Amino acid sequence: MLKGHLDMIVLAALSSGPAHGYAVIQEIHRRSGGAFELPEGTIYPALHRLEQAGLLSSHWTTAESGRQRRVYALTKRGTRALAEERVIWQRFADAIGGLLGHPGHAAARTNR
Amino acid sequence: MPQRAPIADYLDALTGELGFDRSLAHRVRREVEDHLWEATTANGDTSIEAQARAVMSFGAARVIAGQYAALSLLRQARWNGAIIVLASGALYIAMKGRAAWYGLMQWALSDALRPVTAVVLAIDRAAYILAFLLGVVGWAYISSRRVSSRFDTACRSQLKWSLRLAMAAVCPMVVSVIADGAVTALRLLEERPPISVFLIPLLSIAIELAFAALLVIAIGKTLRNMLRAASLQSS
Repeated sequence: MLKGHLDMIVLAALSSGPAHGYAVIQEIHRRSGGAFELPEGTIYPALHRLEQAGLLSSHWTTAESGRQRRVYALTKRGTRALAEERVIWQRFADAIGGLLGHPGHAAARTNR
Repeated sequence: MPQRAPIADYLDALTGELGFDRSLAHRVRREVEDHLWEATTANGDTSIEAQARAVMSFGAARVIAGQYAALSLLRQARWNGAIIVLASGALYIAMKGRAAWYGLMQWALSDALRPVTAVVLAIDRAAYILAFLLGVVGWAYISSRRVSSRFDTACRSQLKWSLRLAMAAVCPMVVSVIADGAVTALRLLEERPPISVFLIPLLSIAIELAFAALLVIAIGKTLRNMLRAASLQSS
């Protein structure tokens, strides 16, 4: 299930500002409360894919350690894509919440 | 026997697995090196064990390389499609330019050459149209594919189809270039005009040959890279 939403998760992790791959992973870990256990390396192909799709931009910087570091940032297209994903996810979460937790929950939201 | 650093070993393994795209391998190596050292030193420990833990958390090199394969090979396939369309355009301009030059120079075909060139030019035209149509179909096909996050069966199938269409377009394109070259050679051998007159036709043929060669090289490279990536895991 996580794999299908990895792109959205990465975009969301970058919504607070530009970051390098390791920081993105830390942000995902922090904001999800450590719920997602995936090989850390999986994030990097996703970052490249999102960059190729024009949703992220990136550039090299030099870290304090002197190592070269690739920093990623959301593009305008990426910000729009994340906003769309949020809406879709909210609808989905409401619908599932209505089905599993609170009968009538989804219907109540629809009628608002 | 001295123990090698796990991070260095891992980076070598990952670079080797990414052999299907050298520039990508170079970039990924630098990026992953930073990640692994960052993860290792996060707890103030740079021991072999801490490095090994960072490598373990990162994931198997073959699996990570497999995830890059879909991205890289699709990009290469799209690039091939764009080159085919570009080459078709270049061939068209070269052919029309040559014909216009012959008109300008009032360089008509002799009666002896006319039947032969008529046949060759008919083959040329048919081959060019076929190459162009296949090229456009191949480009449209691969450009409309979504970048897969996995180098799975569906992704491999898309890449194979794209490569088949590209090869199917290149064959008639090469025939068209050979036909153009043959007709131009016949004209030059018959008339033996001064260099100022035949420079333009020769230049146009050189352009056609350059594009055809570029295309054959690009497709050959993608084919080699696909074969190199074939053994990578899909997830």
